[in-house]
Amino acid sequence: MARFIVQRLLAALVTIWIASIAVTMLIHLVPGDPVRIMYAGFQTTDAEIEAIRTRLGLDRPVWEQYFMYVGRVLTGDLGYSIVGNQPVLQTLLQRFPATLALTVSSLFIAVVVGGSLGFFAAYKRGTAWDFGAMTLAIVGVSMPHFWLGLLLLFLFSMTLEWLPVGGSGWQNLILPALTLGLATGAVIARLTRSAMIDIFDQDFVRTAHAKGLPKTLVLYRHALRSGLVPVVSMLGLQFAYLMGGAIVIENVFAWNGVGRLAIQAVFARDYPLIQGFILFFATVVALVSVVIDVAYALLDPRIRYGT
Amino acid sequence: MSAPDTAQAGPAAARLSGVQQALTALLRSPSGAVGLAIVLLLVIAAVFAPLIAPHDPLRMASGPRLSPPSAAHWMGTDQLGRDMFSRVVFGARLTLQIGVIAVGISLTSGLLLGLVAGYAGGWTERVLMRLVDVLFSFTEIVIALACLAILGVGLVNAMIAIGIASIPFYARITHSVVLVEKNKPYFEAAIAAGASRLRLIFVHLLPNVIPTLIVVGTLGVSTAVLAAAGLSFLGLGAQPPQPEWGFMLSSSRDLIARAPWMMIFPGLAIAITVLGFNLLGDGVREVLDPRQRAR
Repeated sequence: MARFIVQRLLAALVTIWIASIAVTMLIHLVPGDPVRIMYAGFQTTDAEIEAIRTRLGLDRPVWEQYFMYVGRVLTGDLGYSIVGNQPVLQTLLQRFPATLALTVSSLFIAVVVGGSLGFFAAYKRGTAWDFGAMTLAIVGVSMPHFWLGLLLLFLFSMTLEWLPVGGSGWQNLILPALTLGLATGAVIARLTRSAMIDIFDQDFVRTAHAKGLPKTLVLYRHALRSGLVPVVSMLGLQFAYLMGGAIVIENVFAWNGVGRLAIQAVFARDYPLIQGFILFFATVVALVSVVIDVAYALLDPRIRYGT
Repeated sequence: MSAPDTAQAGPAAARLSGVQQALTALLRSPSGAVGLAIVLLLVIAAVFAPLIAPHDPLRMASGPRLSPPSAAHWMGTDQLGRDMFSRVVFGARLTLQIGVIAVGISLTSGLLLGLVAGYAGGWTERVLMRLVDVLFSFTEIVIALACLAILGVGLVNAMIAIGIASIPFYARITHSVVLVEKNKPYFEAAIAAGASRLRLIFVHLLPNVIPTLIVVGTLGVSTAVLAAAGLSFLGLGAQPPQPEWGFMLSSSRDLIARAPWMMIFPGLAIAITVLGFNLLGDGVREVLDPRQRAR
C-alpha cells in the first residue's frame, strides 16, 4: 500500500512539474511583447517597460527564468498580480474556500442525484422508467451548465423569490451548487446505469437471488457495492471537471471563487495571476486525485496489488 | 472484357450498399434518427440562413426594443430591437463553424499523436502518453483559458483554443484503439510481409481507428459547441455584434427578469444542437458497435 501511495504521489509531482514548465512557457508563446500587452491599460514609458521586464526576469534566458520561477514557487512566492499588485498565492488562497465549497457540494449533489437515477434506471432496465430516466440524463448532459444556471436563477430568485440573486452567504451557494451538481449528476447517472447493468448480469448477483435472499439485501449489499466501484474510480476525473465547471458557474452567479478570478485575469492579460492560477489548479486537481485513488485502493484491493 | 468490369464495380457497389445499410441502421435506431434530424435541421438553418431569417440579424431597431415573442418577431427582440429569431438562425452558422473547426483541429492532431505513440511504443509512447495524461487532468477549460491568455480573446481564437484543449482526449482514444489493433493477426502479417512504416500506420492502422473516431468526433462536436458557447458566455469568444448563442445568453443576463425570451431561445438552441450531436453520436456507435445496442 505504501508503494502504491508513493507511486501515485510521484505521478502527481510529474503533473505539477509539467504544469510549472507550461506556465513558464506560456508567457513566451504570446505573440508580441507580453509586457506591453499586460500594461496596455496603464500609462507607461519605455524605461518603465524595460524595468518591469527586468523585474519579471523576462530579459534572461528561458531556462534561467524557469529555475527562478520554480525557486520562487518553492518558497510560496507566485509573484504579484498586475491588476491591484496583490501577492498571487494569497489572492488564490483567499478565494479558494469559496470554490472548494462549491465543488464539494456539487459533487455531493451529483453523486446522490446521478447515482440514484442511474441505479434506478438499471434496475428498471428496458422499461418506460429506464427510458424516462435516461432521457432526463441525456438532456442534462446536453444542457449548457450556464443556461441551466440562468433558468434556475430566473425561477428561484426572480420569479419565486426564494433565494437571493447575489452575495456570498450559504443561501447563495444553493443555486450554483445545484446547477453544477445536476449537470455532473447527468454524467454520473449514465455511468452508474451502465456499471449496474454489468453487475446485475453477474453470477454472484444471480446466486444471491437464487439463494432466496431478500431483494433489497441483494440490491444494496451485493449489487450496489460492486456497482459503485467503477463510479468511485471516475470521481477523481469528475472532481477535476467540477473544478473546471466552477470557473463558468462562478461567473454566472457572481460567486467569488478562483474561477471568477481566473476569467478576470485572462481579460486583463494579468500573466502572473494566470500562471499562478494554472499551477494552483493543476496542484489541487493532482493532490485530490491522489486522495481519491488511495481511498479507492482501500476499498478495492485488486487496485493496490496491481491485478 | 466483362470480368474486370465486374471486379471493378464489385467493391464500389459493396461499399455503396454498406453505406446504405449503415444509414438504414442509423435511421432505425431512435436516437440516431432524432439526432440526424436535428443535425440536418441545423445544417439547413446554417446554409439557408439569409432565406429563413425574416430580418438582418445585425440590424438594430428591426422592431421595438425588448418586445416579447409575437407574430412579427417569433422569438421577440433584444435590447437593441434586433430580431431574436433571425439572430438564432444565423447563430447556427457560427455554431457549425465552431464545431467543424474545433473538432478538425483536435481530431487530426490527436489522431496523429495517438497513432505515433501507439505505433512507436517504448519511450516515445511512454513520454507522449504521460504528457497527454497530464494535459487531460488539467481539464479542457483550463487549457482553453491558457490558450486564450496567449492568443487573446475572440471567436476564432476560442475555436483554436477549444481545438487544442481537446487534443489529449482524441490522442488517448486513438492510442487505445491502436494498442488493440497492433496485436491483431492482420497487422502482424503486414509486418511480416515487409510493409513500410508509413504503410503500416496509414494503410493498416488508420482505417481501423477511423470508425471509433467517427463516433467520438460526432460526440466531440457537441462538447466543442458547449465549450465555445461557454467561452462566448464569459465574453472570451464571440464579440458584439456577432449572433453567437453563448454570447447572446450572456447579454441576456441583466435583462432576465424583463425579457426572459432573450435567455430562453439561445439557450434552447445550444441545448438542442448539443442533444442532436449527442444522439447522433450514440446512434452511430450503435451502428458501428452492435454490442452497445443491448445497453
